[in-house]
Parts: sequence; C-alpha cells; structure tokens
Amino acid sequence: MKTFTKFLGLAVVLLIAIVLAVLCGDYGPWYFAWLVGTTMIILIAVAGGVLFETQLETQKKGS
Amino acid sequence: MPLIDPTVVDLSRLQFALTALYHFLFVPLTLGMTMILAAMETTYVITGKQVYKDMTQFWGKLFGINFAIGVATGLTMEFEFGTNWSMFSHFVGDVFGTPLAIEGLMAFFMESTFIGLMFFGWDRLSKPAHLAITYLVALASNLSALWILIANGFMQDPKGASFNPDTMRMQFNSFVQLVFSPDAQAKFVHTSIAGFVTGAMFVMGVSAYYLLTNRHKEFAARSIRMAAVFGLISTLAVVTLGDALGRLDDLLQPTKIAAIEGLWHTTTSPAAPWLVAALPDDKTQSNVFEIGVPYVLTPLITHTFDKSIPGLIDLEGAAGPKILNGIKAIDALQQYSTTHDAASLATFKQYEDDMGYGFLAQQNAPNQDLNAITPAEMPAVVQQTELDTVPNVFVTFWAFRIMMFLGFYFIALFAFMAYFSLKNQLENNRFLLKLCMISIPAPILACEFGWITAEAGRQPWSVYGWLPTFQAASSHNVGYMVFSLIGFALLYSLFIAAELYLMFKYARLGPQSHDHAAPVAGTGALPMFAKPGFAAKSWE
Amino acid sequence: MEIYVALKIIWAVLLGVLLTGLAVMVGMDMGVGTLLRFVGKNDAERRTALNIIGPHWDGNQVWFILGGGAIFAAFPTLYATSFSVFYVVMILLLFSMIMRPVAFEYRSKVDAKSWRATWDWAFLISGAVPMIIYGAAFGNVLEGVGFHYGWTGQYYQGESFLSYLLNPFAVMCGVMSLSLSIYQGGTFLMLRGVEPIYSRARLFASCGGLLAAVIFAVGGLWVSHLNGYVFTGAVNPGMQATPLGGPAVAVQAGAWLNNYNNHPILWLAPVLGFVGMLAGTLALRLHLKVLAWWLGAVAWAGTISTVGFAMFPFLMPSSTNPSQSLTVWNATGSAYNLGWMLFFAAVFVPIILSYTSWAFYVMRGKVKTETIVNDPHSY
Repeated sequence: MKTFTKFLGLAVVLLIAIVLAVLCGDYGPWYFAWLVGTTMIILIAVAGGVLFETQLETQKKGS
Repeated sequence: MPLIDPTVVDLSRLQFALTALYHFLFVPLTLGMTMILAAMETTYVITGKQVYKDMTQFWGKLFGINFAIGVATGLTMEFEFGTNWSMFSHFVGDVFGTPLAIEGLMAFFMESTFIGLMFFGWDRLSKPAHLAITYLVALASNLSALWILIANGFMQDPKGASFNPDTMRMQFNSFVQLVFSPDAQAKFVHTSIAGFVTGAMFVMGVSAYYLLTNRHKEFAARSIRMAAVFGLISTLAVVTLGDALGRLDDLLQPTKIAAIEGLWHTTTSPAAPWLVAALPDDKTQSNVFEIGVPYVLTPLITHTFDKSIPGLIDLEGAAGPKILNGIKAIDALQQYSTTHDAASLATFKQYEDDMGYGFLAQQNAPNQDLNAITPAEMPAVVQQTELDTVPNVFVTFWAFRIMMFLGFYFIALFAFMAYFSLKNQLENNRFLLKLCMISIPAPILACEFGWITAEAGRQPWSVYGWLPTFQAASSHNVGYMVFSLIGFALLYSLFIAAELYLMFKYARLGPQSHDHAAPVAGTGALPMFAKPGFAAKSWE
Repeated sequence: MEIYVALKIIWAVLLGVLLTGLAVMVGMDMGVGTLLRFVGKNDAERRTALNIIGPHWDGNQVWFILGGGAIFAAFPTLYATSFSVFYVVMILLLFSMIMRPVAFEYRSKVDAKSWRATWDWAFLISGAVPMIIYGAAFGNVLEGVGFHYGWTGQYYQGESFLSYLLNPFAVMCGVMSLSLSIYQGGTFLMLRGVEPIYSRARLFASCGGLLAAVIFAVGGLWVSHLNGYVFTGAVNPGMQATPLGGPAVAVQAGAWLNNYNNHPILWLAPVLGFVGMLAGTLALRLHLKVLAWWLGAVAWAGTISTVGFAMFPFLMPSSTNPSQSLTVWNATGSAYNLGWMLFFAAVFVPIILSYTSWAFYVMRGKVKTETIVNDPHSY
C-alpha cells in the first residue's frame, strides 16, 4: 500500500511536470528555460559542495 | 483639459525612481539568497554535515536583515501607482493591476508565511519538511518577481489589452498574451538570474573576508565553493538573456535600442561599429566622440549580417505621420466622450493605433489644447513632438554600458574563483579574495543600471506607445510632493544606515555569533570554528 | 442576471472579505505593536510579546498588500482616485507602515537600550497610526470625498487634505478601528503569552472591546444624521465601468439608512458587530481566549459589513460632483478581468487559508520568555 501511494504521488508529480513542460515549452520558452536552468544551477552548486567533501576526504587519506 | 504641472510630474518621477531604485537595492539579493539557501540546505540534507546547516542559518540571518527592508520598501511601490500615478492606474489598472494582485495571491503570501517557518521552524519541522519550506520560499520570491515583471513587460510592450473608448482605458482581453509576452518572459529570466548573481557575489565576498582574516576558514571555503559555481552559471545565463532582451527591443522598442547603442543614423552596412564608449549629446543629436568596433553591432542586435538598425533621427522622422494621426484620434475621442456619436467613434477607430502620439503632442499644442492647433501651426507642433519621441540617449547609453561591462567582469571573477576553489588554492590568491570583497555591491549596481536602461529607455512613455509619462501622473500640488519626498529621504536614509550597520556587524561577527547560544541543535560542533584544523574532523 | 453584474457584486463582496481579513490579521499585529510598550515592562517581556506574532506578522501583512493589489485590479478607478485624493494621509500611513518590518528584524539585533527603545516607539507608531487611518478612511468615505474627473478620466482634487485629517467623525472611526485592533492583538497575546503579559493584555483587550462597542453605537447614531447619497436617475448595473456620464445622484441626510429600511434583515450586520465586541469582552473575562479571538473577527466582519450595507452600491461618493461618485457599477474592471481574478482567487484563497492555518498550527503553544532570550533566531 505504501509503495502504491508513493508511486501514485510520484505519478502526480510527473504529470504536473509534463504538463508544465509542454505548456511552458509551447508558449513560454524562456519560462521553461528558467525552470530547467534554475534547477540545474542549484544542483550543480550542490554537487560543488558534495565534491568539496570528497576532495577533503581524499586529501586526508592521502596525507 | 490642462495638463499636470511639469514640476509635479518631474517630482513624481523623481520620487518613483528613487523609491524604486532603493527597493531594487534589496530585491536582487532576496531573489538570489533564497535560492542559495535552498542549495546549501539541500547539501545539508544530502551530506548530513552540520556545517551546511550552520551555513544555511548564518546566511539566512544576513538574508533576513536584507529581506525586512525589501518588504518595507515594496509596500511603497504598491501604494505609489495609486498615490502618484492616478491616470496611469486608471488607464491600465484593468490589465496592469491583475498581475500585481495575482502576485499577492500566488507568491507573496507563500513567501511571507513560509519565511516565518523557515526562520523559526528549525526545531519544529523534520529535515525534509524544512527543506521543502526553504524551496517554497525561494520559489515564491522568484514567482513574485515573475508577476511584477509581467506587469512591467506590459508597460514596455502592451500585449493582452485594447483601448475601450467608452471607459477611456485599456481593457484586459487576453491573459495568455499578457503572461507569455516575450518581453515579460525574457525580462523575468534576466532579472531573476541577475538576482542569483547578486546573491552569489554576496556570499563569496563575505566568505573571502573570512579567509583573508583567517577566521571560519572551513565554513568560508565551502561557502565560496557553492557560491562560485552558482554564480558562474548564473552570470553566463544573465548575459545570454541580456542578448535576447536586446533582440526583442530591436523588434518592439526601436527607440530604446537605438538609444542604448547611441545610434543616431540608421546603419547602412554590416560594418557599422558597436560603440565601446561615446559621448552622446541629446541637444545636437550626435555623438561628440565615439570609439567603436566594426562588424559587431549588426550581428549583435539583429542576429543577422544584412539587416539595418534604425537610428534615432530616422525614427523621429517616422513618428511624424503617427503624430498627425494621433492628434486626429484624440480630437475624435474627446468629441466622442461628450456626444457618443457613431461618426466620431469611426474616426477614432481609424486612427486608434496612434492615439498615444496624440497625447504626446498635447504638451506642444497652444494652451495644451489639440483642438486649438491651426493648420499653420501644425508642422511646428509635429516637429516639436517628433523630438519628444526618443529617450535621453546619454543616460540610456551609459547605464547599459556600465551594466554590461560589470556583467563580463563577473564572469571572469566567478570563473577564477571557481577554478581556485576546485584546486583548493584560494588562500594563496589574496588579491582575488580582496577583489571579491570589494565586488559585493557591484552586482547590485549592475541591477540598478539595468533598471535604469529599461525604464529610461522606455521614455517618453509610461505605457509604450499609448500613454506618455507626463500624462500618467496624479494632479497634486508641489507642496504634497515636497512633503512626501522629504519624508522618504529621511526615513530611507535612516533605514539604510541601520541596515548597513547591522550587515557589517553580523558579517564581521561571523557564523559562530549565533551558534554559541543555540540550545537545541546539540551537535557540539559549534565552538570549533575558531580552530579550523579541528573542525573538519568534528563534522565527520 | 447579466454575468458582468454578477461579477461586480461578487467582487464587491470579496472587497468586503478582503478588508475584513486585513483588519483582523493586520489589525492583530498592529494591536500587539501598539501594546508592546504597555504589556512589556522590561526588554525580556517585550521580546516575548514580539515573538508571539514573530512567525506570523509577515504573512499577515500580505493581507494588506493583497488588499491594495485587489483594489488596483478589480476597482482600478477606485484605487487610482482614493489613493491620490487622500495623498497626504496615505503617505503618512505608508511612512508608519514601512517602519514595522524593519523594526521587527532590527530591534533585537543590537543590545543597546536606546536602540531598542527607539524601535519600540516605532512599533507604537507603526501599530497605532495605520489603524487610525484605516478607520478614518471609512469615516471619510461615508461623509463623501471631494473629487471629480476630466474627460480623459484624470481626477481633480476638490478639498484640502486637512479636511480628511481633522475630521471629527473620521477621527472617531479611527479610534474605533484602533480599539478593535487592540482587542484583537491583546487576545492573541493572551493565547500565546504567559504571565505577566497575559493579565496586562487581558486588561487592554477588554477596554478595547468595550470602547469599540461604545463608539460603534455613537457612530451609528451619527450616521443616521449624516448626509448619504442616493441615485435619482435610472441605474444600469451592467453599465460600462466609467465614472463619466453616470445617473444623477442626490445628497440627503440619513440616506445611508435607506438600505436598512428597505431590507430589515441587514440589521443583522450591526447586531453581529455588537455581539462580537460585547460577547468577546465577556469571553475574555472568562478566559475563553480562542472564542474571544473569533468573536473579535466577528466584530470586524459586522462593522465592515454595516458600513458596506449602508453605502451599497456606493464605494466612494463625490461631494463636489455626486453624479461622478464611484460605485460598484462604475468603478470595477472589465468583465474579462474580473473573471480571471475570480478564477485566481478561487484557486489560491483556499490554498492560502490552509497553509496559513498550518503555519499557526506548527508554531502553536505558549511562547516563554526563557526560550526567547536563549534562542538566537528570535526577534
């Protein structure tokens, strides 16, 4: 049951994302670019942070 | 109908410009900081390391100092359309007010309610729930910007409304056209991401200060890493969007693009130079001197190698027929407003598209009455009005250039910082760190100049092509304006003094200022910021 | 009924709802601001009082911003004219309002007596002045405002700002609005606060409730002798929205009671107002805090609908050119605009109400002085 609700929830999110992407893609290309771009900017910044921790760890192991 | 006292119009413009510029000192930082806080908290949730929570909280505190004043000065903006631009509000309120109301409903409520939970809910919410709240705040603050810029986009390129002669105002007729207006789209993305740049520079600059003074080094190194990456991608995006906006202005607001480029005469060959620097003289309608790079302007603006770009003097000439039509339109409209007869309505409909130019001609008509213009006077009135159809070139030209040069400077700075952060060599580059520190206000400055480019370049219109600025104001007397201007000057000076004092105080104090008292977090990692060598271990 | 007329009426009702929501939520925070210096005798107590509304004031304030935005969009001509006609008063309201967000964020960030005392005064001003002006605006509008329009729709001022500032009836309305806000703020301080704030707040709130009831009664008698406005020409509710060329309007003493005489059921509104104020005060004495808070909201709803019913369909009558008075029929946006706005309100208001309630739920419980003083995040 829990898996099912989780699945349902994700399906709804997916549906919203697709509708948003299609609508924005058709009428508002720049809005679409903002959605994708901002997500990307945040994720890459987070990846930068995570990479920092990895670098720190390797450095410590090496020394 | 007498026009409004020009002194009152000028004072109203001064007041609006000052309060808007002041408000806009704080907005970009809000747009960017909320997103950076979201990124930092995401890292906290992913890695589970306390330092990222401390980062979120510390930068959140500085963000809060900035946010309060942004909210306060935003109130002014919401009021000022009504208090100082009565005719504007009446003329376009039906379509312009709607995005502002939706902004309140959709975005501002969300931002303001959740920001309370973001600051106060750390101990009352689970990790994912608090992260979700932070994301909602970030999304909401940018949604706010979206609706405001949709409204602003309407002023630049009125889409989604048409003039109704029975109600004497623009009436809303297409929601889709209003929201998806190309100008609004490009403007929103450009402005929002310019905010990201501002936020990234702020975090990077303050962190650079800690590295320079050998304090909170682990904290600062991580902040710089995230901010530099965040800022670099954002700046690239801002420049791309700036180019898109320029292309749009070429299509929609030719007078603005010509003013931005200091272009008096229409280009005749693709070799036309892009001016790096010039001294435009609005009186003589020429550039006193200019330094340019050939073969750049045409592809930059038109994205082709063969199209020509109209110059200001030619644009003025092209406005002549529109002014004649506009005068006929306004005469017919005035007639219709009393008689409501079909004949004058038909005449008005014929010239409707140019009615704004008729309004514009009023200030040059004898006794400011278009009906009183004799055929002999007409050419002089038209000629005078033609000169009024272009913005101030000196201001637009230089505001744009300062913004643009700063933009390219940011790309370089973020790129170097990202590189050295990845190489873990930040501390060896003290010059770069110092540069970051003094660059904190630069993106804010760039945002302000961007605003000046957009709005000074829109002149003489408050709604491009439809309503001249001088007609949009409220018919106050000078005394009222002096009263409000002095009040704003006093209050806003006190505010900025208090905000800078607190910003400096808390930035100097650094992250542990609020950690030592935290009774709940219970991680024990807090006082160790003072001993960086030890700190890395405690976060494992 | 024509769709446009229905939309106009719906938005007139929504305007009332917004003005009530604004009065209850913003009024509550303003009341706390006004009372701050009196319920808190020392710094720790004042901080406690501030943090009681700390997580919520910002969200509540949006009611005010939304009020402005909705009037701008749904009643553009009303927004354009009222804000300009009341210029000096509006600017004073603005000056006092904008101190508040700054005061919240900055007050406790510096540990100096004079700094904090200054911001405490800012709280008093930014709490009391806006509420007085809010009430006074109702008073001024009831009495009619001096303005008229040129052919383009540009308004012209007919009176000096002094007539709005120094107007006994309007000032009385302002004091009533302040009393209700003190009631509401005091009640919320009781809900979340502990002794000694609790007892002090209870005293002020009770006084506020009683004073409001007295002024409400006096005001009612006053209005029955005040000049009201009535249509004498043929009215077409579905008319194009323009204040120019509307039906003739006459000014008659006591005309604001016409609607009540024609539809006696409307008397429920003032009755509701009195019930809210008096039963609310009683509930406070019995320590029924939640009930008292909601009765305060009822009092506001009763008061504002009393004014609304008296004036309907007038929104802002013109004393210098009554036929150009702004009404529900001639000051709204276009049907298309009202329709879209209604759609957005229907979607977002339920969402707003649910997350606002959730936020209050998350931050529920008593706010204690020890936690505030030790918590680095608190105001």
